[in-house]
Amino acid sequence: MKKYLSLVLAVALAVSVLAGCSAPAATPATSSEAATDSEAQSSSAEASSAAPASGKTLNLYTWEGMFPEDVLSSFTKDTGIAINYSNFDADETMLAKLESTKGGDYDLVIADDYIIKTAIEEGLAQKLDKSKLENFANINPIYQGQFYDSSNDYTVPYGAGVQTIVYDPKIVKKEIKGYADLWDASLKGSIGIIGNYRVIDGMALKILGKSYNTTNVDEINTAGEKLKKLAPNIRLIKDDNLQDDLLSGEVGAAIMYTSQATLAMMKNPELKAVFPKEGIGFGIMANFIPSKAPNADAAYTFIDYILQPEVSAKCYEYLGYYCTNKAAEALINADYKSYLTLPADFDMKKMEMIQPITAEAEEAHSKVWTAFKAAAGQE
Amino acid sequence: MKNRTKLPNIYLGVILVLMYLPILLVIIYSFNQSKISSVWEGFSLKWYTELFRDASLLQALINSLVLAAASSLNAAVIGTLAAVGMLKVNLRSKGVIEYISTLPIMIPEIILGMVFLVFFSLIGLPFGMTTLIIAHTAFCIPYVYMLVKARLVGLDKSLGEAAKDLGAGELRVFLDITLPLILPAIVSGMLLAFAMSMDDVVISIFVTGVNTNTLPIKIYTQLKTGVTPKINALCTILFAVTVLMGLLSGWLGKINTQKKTVLEENR
Amino acid sequence: MKLDDTPVPLPWQRREKRFSHNGKFILTVLPLYIFTLAFVAGPLVYMFILSFLQRAEVWGVIGKFTLKNYTDILDPVYLKTFWESIKLAVLTTALTILIGYPFGYFMAKLSAKWKSRMMLFLMIPFWTSSLIRLYGWIIIFRANGPLDKALMFLHITDAPLKLLYTYAAVVVGMVYALVPFMIFSVYSSAEKLDWSLIEAARDLGANPMQAFLTVSLKLTLPGLLSGVVLTFIPSMGLFFIADILGGNKVVLVGNVIQEQLMKAHNWPFAAALAVVLTILTSVMIYLYRRLAKVKDLEGLV
Repeated sequence: MKKYLSLVLAVALAVSVLAGCSAPAATPATSSEAATDSEAQSSSAEASSAAPASGKTLNLYTWEGMFPEDVLSSFTKDTGIAINYSNFDADETMLAKLESTKGGDYDLVIADDYIIKTAIEEGLAQKLDKSKLENFANINPIYQGQFYDSSNDYTVPYGAGVQTIVYDPKIVKKEIKGYADLWDASLKGSIGIIGNYRVIDGMALKILGKSYNTTNVDEINTAGEKLKKLAPNIRLIKDDNLQDDLLSGEVGAAIMYTSQATLAMMKNPELKAVFPKEGIGFGIMANFIPSKAPNADAAYTFIDYILQPEVSAKCYEYLGYYCTNKAAEALINADYKSYLTLPADFDMKKMEMIQPITAEAEEAHSKVWTAFKAAAGQE
Repeated sequence: MKNRTKLPNIYLGVILVLMYLPILLVIIYSFNQSKISSVWEGFSLKWYTELFRDASLLQALINSLVLAAASSLNAAVIGTLAAVGMLKVNLRSKGVIEYISTLPIMIPEIILGMVFLVFFSLIGLPFGMTTLIIAHTAFCIPYVYMLVKARLVGLDKSLGEAAKDLGAGELRVFLDITLPLILPAIVSGMLLAFAMSMDDVVISIFVTGVNTNTLPIKIYTQLKTGVTPKINALCTILFAVTVLMGLLSGWLGKINTQKKTVLEENR
Repeated sequence: MKLDDTPVPLPWQRREKRFSHNGKFILTVLPLYIFTLAFVAGPLVYMFILSFLQRAEVWGVIGKFTLKNYTDILDPVYLKTFWESIKLAVLTTALTILIGYPFGYFMAKLSAKWKSRMMLFLMIPFWTSSLIRLYGWIIIFRANGPLDKALMFLHITDAPLKLLYTYAAVVVGMVYALVPFMIFSVYSSAEKLDWSLIEAARDLGANPMQAFLTVSLKLTLPGLLSGVVLTFIPSMGLFFIADILGGNKVVLVGNVIQEQLMKAHNWPFAAALAVVLTILTSVMIYLYRRLAKVKDLEGLV
């Protein structure tokens, strides 16, 4: 018995050492465990019963940072509708989520063109009642009637972007006019690109004079071979905040989205932005109302609110994408205007929207892309 | 065993410094005037004031705390009970169940998030705190289970045996002897599970509902639009709170140890 | 212990079986059984089934059986990513052993007071967002960042090193993220060491190295091995470190899975990659059990 007692003591000592480092072990375990269980139960019950309050709430589902804080708060102040801002990280997450809620839960979604096309095809978007949108006419028509919504039944555009080459003339001595210039050996290890393979593989396709949306696997593979030769020049592949690397001198040239180009140019006006001569990929973000939106009226109110020229101008200055609101263009701060509107001499024929392609072509693209990234990593 | 040399302590110190280095830089840059994290433009507290004005961030913090507490507690109950029981039951299936239950920490999170999403919509569970708690509990259980089991295996079985010989019931033995002995393992498992839950983005982003943004989701999606020092400020505050809690638990532990020592002396 | 899953019943267990207390204890394992079968096995079975289905043209899957997803993995491009992942995981694990083993071992030699302090020091970084800690490394590695400045100040280098977005940066990030697991594992088994055994070995004329190899290393091997499992397995799937610190150029299986899911919309292929990855890691764990002759990842913390 004595032996056991000494054992108990020894273990107790060891326990107290361990307990000292891990956490207060003072509470009696039985009661705390019992409490934990019921607590967990009640918290989950609470959560599930706290269904979205219908009526005066707008469930907005989009990326983080799509609207300036004060626009959102004045919307609530002016209309009495509270905003419940949920974020997704990628279009695909949004579509998967919307599919599993069967078009419910969310009142308004803002996402990219190609995913909206799929959402519409899957019956996850509802037709807009344009009579509820007084400011619908403010939209710039060149951003309407595109492949994803050819008769403008479902969507209201909110910002557009082109893929631009931005470079720092202090680092890159060669003048860049188009994609082909990026292959120049003098740019070794100094290019940053976005991680969108349709855009990047598309560069090579454009140089070869093909369409972004080709479904010809041989063409894609040829483009892949061309792309591999670019690998030594690639310093990094990154979707987010690529402008930071350009500004800090980590890369000399970058292929980036419009919002990134805008941010970079605002910070350092000496940078040069180039619309590649071979052709430009174009993308539009748009609003749509999910088919079973619990509070569609709030969504209409919001879309119409944002379409007001004054509000719209504020949004685009914050967002950094091309303004899709014709009436707002005049109100944009003159300092930023050149970044937020297309140049007057812009040739719309060079512009091509990147559309969904066949599964076979998509697989060829992703294989080409994986091989390209691996080649860049070998350098 | 005397320390013949100071070398080991120096080594421990150097590695610890390296571990805290990135955190230190995050803290320093939370006081950066500039919005772009790559440029230092002078000292400022503006990001802290902006942080406190951001109600959605604070709500996300509350959501995360509730979620982490609930899932780590669920995991503690399920994991502990199972670890105790698995050693005693004789079921053919137990090896398989044990293996499957540890899979959530072995499979890439992104896959887990995706299958959870599809699975929950398949069984018609509405997305929200419930789905978050289930998914998080799934990857919290292995931490508690493995720790408690490792501790149980190391225990001297004769203890419980002796108690039973003395006429104590199964439950009494568990409550009076086993539980106090495995408590450190339960607590450290829970702490680890809590930390993992507080840090999870990938799975949460798939299974979250309309108004249950968690803090990591907020941080992650904000990182995507630009690393503003606001995030740094938030992390600095969280870090400070963690350090405080750590000191507090260390202090409580000390009191606990002292109590135990007194107890032993009295025997 | 035997190598299969049934532990050798200890005397008291045997007695219990005789009295068939099974029934009572089944209640305690029931929650795990229910939860695991419903919420872990369910989704995983779905993943397995998914890996044999066909992708739809644009979005979703078609319920038709195919082996294409598995044959696609055999394409050199994707085989190479498996090989690269394994290479990086091996390198990462080797470095975590080099750094983490001495740490855990020395830590076990500290006084009780310092042991608990050390534990605390190790736990605290765990509680800050791992993404944010990675951003801390970005700040350090950045061109003209603190590291460059320090090196140039000391005249070790005279131009900014381009450290960010390199393989080395990825390795640092991986080791940084995973070394605590190695430390915890090694520490928990070193803590049980009977230091008098080493003293005895020394008394018998062994030099410190011999004493370490014959006594300490042997006794801490289980901890070391569980540390290996705990670092090797996650390092196969940690795609965001390669993304953030490596400039997305180090292509790992985790990255391909992520891209197939999120960009290529090829869920069945992603599922097939995940199944293969799961099998690979399971084989690792099986080998670990054979090697360590233990039944679980003993001593995680």
